[in-house]
Amino acid sequence: MTVVCPSGHVSATADYCDQCGALIAVPATPQPTEVLSVIEEVDTSPAARQKPCPTCGAQRSGDDRYCEGCGYDFLAPPANSAVAAPATVTWEALAIADRRQFERHENRGIAFPTDSAERSFALTQAEVRIGRSRGRAGETVPEIDLGGAAADPGVSHLHAVLQRQDDGCYALRDLGSTNGTMVNDDPRPISPDVLVPLADRDRIRVGAWTTIMLRKR
Amino acid sequence: MSSFTAEVYQNEYLPLGGAEVNAIVTVTSPGGAARAGPAAGAGAGRPPDAAEIIIIDTSGSMDVPKGKIKAAREATSVAIDCIRDGVAFGVIAGTDVARMVYPDHGGLQLASDVTRNAAKAAVAGLQAGGGTAIGSWLTVARHMLGTRAQDRVCHAILLTDGENQSESAEELDRVLDTCEGHFQCDCRGVGSDWEVSELRRVASKLLGTVDIIADPADMASDFRAMIETAMGKATRSVSLRLWTPQGATVAFVRQVAPTIEDLTERAAAVDARTVEYPTGTWGSESRDYHLCIDAAPREVGDEMLVGRLSLVEGNKVLGQALIKAIWTDDQQLSTRINREVAHYTGQAELADVIQDGLEARKAGDEATATVKLGRAVQLASESGNDGTMKLLQAVVEVDDPATGTVRLKREVADVDEMALDTRSTKTVRTGPGGA
Repeated sequence: MTVVCPSGHVSATADYCDQCGALIAVPATPQPTEVLSVIEEVDTSPAARQKPCPTCGAQRSGDDRYCEGCGYDFLAPPANSAVAAPATVTWEALAIADRRQFERHENRGIAFPTDSAERSFALTQAEVRIGRSRGRAGETVPEIDLGGAAADPGVSHLHAVLQRQDDGCYALRDLGSTNGTMVNDDPRPISPDVLVPLADRDRIRVGAWTTIMLRKR
Repeated sequence: MSSFTAEVYQNEYLPLGGAEVNAIVTVTSPGGAARAGPAAGAGAGRPPDAAEIIIIDTSGSMDVPKGKIKAAREATSVAIDCIRDGVAFGVIAGTDVARMVYPDHGGLQLASDVTRNAAKAAVAGLQAGGGTAIGSWLTVARHMLGTRAQDRVCHAILLTDGENQSESAEELDRVLDTCEGHFQCDCRGVGSDWEVSELRRVASKLLGTVDIIADPADMASDFRAMIETAMGKATRSVSLRLWTPQGATVAFVRQVAPTIEDLTERAAAVDARTVEYPTGTWGSESRDYHLCIDAAPREVGDEMLVGRLSLVEGNKVLGQALIKAIWTDDQQLSTRINREVAHYTGQAELADVIQDGLEARKAGDEATATVKLGRAVQLASESGNDGTMKLLQAVVEVDDPATGTVRLKREVADVDEMALDTRSTKTVRTGPGGA
């Protein structure tokens, strides 16, 4: 993999430029937008016990501190941990199987779920992860888990995260998911690792059919 | 797979226009037991093939006092007993020429009960007589190791009690050039008639240690320790591979723990921006390195990588450390001095002032010697380097360690002065939490 540094050098290392040493912050490869290809992360036990990079999803190599894919710092403290919650407003996320979204894509070999019950998640924590658990022992289960019986196969294991802001509202950050994260009717996925502030009744679209609506209660 | 860990201690913040980046990198090797990757090939889980050569000075002076040659014979026997089965080994007796004691011709023998006993019998017959030509001993050692030096861990012990008078310094330097990279050599001087700087040159070039054995009675335990360390080596030769960006220059790279060893001049170019420094073989151990890199200054807020330090065995990367620089206009950040960097800067100065002080004392310049050794006392005391402090106290009377006020002792035993000189490069690590 090669990336381009801010000064325009082509670098074989993705964390810092291998020519001038400049910090390379943003992954240079754009996320695919239209083609929905479902990629199942390969379980390479015992390496599978290692968490993949939350930014780009690359498998962590040994005890390397920095991700080989994007230079993410595995040892950095998680952002916004332990922020006191303003108690007055509570938010909920409502996940539904959205046929309109399903039909926007070409979905090879994927069937729209017949059992499409709504799932509601109360947003109680400062950081709420969206993803898909795979029912494996010891894995990280995201708070908004789109796995299980009616799992959405287009959702990455750790797909995105909702982070509570100082004003009590949530902002969305894509964690470098395979198939991207869209907000409302914008067909373009949001940039990975960029905080997108959300308002009441904003819709987050992930995977093959999932729409998550954010609601103030 | 076994991997080395490398921890970086630095203040990465530089003021606007600042260029000098200092970092201490602590490299820790997991050692023998943890090393069992398929990458090690057929030898997975086993230590690499090893070869061991013991070189004993049998010059005439080894007979004075009488016990010295006897102690050397005994120490060699103890060392032979510690050689692991299957390790290729040999013994050389050195005078103005080198003689193969065991085996008496051909290449090395593989260690077993039979060969160890035969070697000990040959060593028992060693008598003292003749001159000292260390270069010729090393040349024979290199020939005995043959051409397989690259695919096994080759180590030698060299014991001498005298100056290298039977050959020129240039001759020794030439031999050291040919031996460099073929084997590592730990050097020991017994008594007080050998030359510290000479043996240090041999050990330094051949990536080994140097020490004094003041009392021949201590020889056996020291030999045992050296062989056991050598047998515990789990890697082939490991190098520090340092990448630096465009516009950056390496001011120095030195090992700072367990001893000070300047590696700067040993840099071998890998490509335009990468050099390698050989560090020899590693057992289960930890070493610290001080890197000083001059980077091309950037704008406030810019972060850049000024060094990527990889530990490589051949072309296999065993571990990595990143040395960074961030330019800031916050003086509180940029003026902070990292504790480890400060500590090891002090330890390097300590070694320098000891060597300068002893040099001045030898030259009769007592004023300089008092100032230098006084500073040494101050540094040793501040950093808690008790070992060096004790050695200094044999050479100077300490009035006040905090200010470095000392008086030179009138009567100093040669061995005390040599012990201080030899061990001046020994450092201590920073304690937890710091002073």
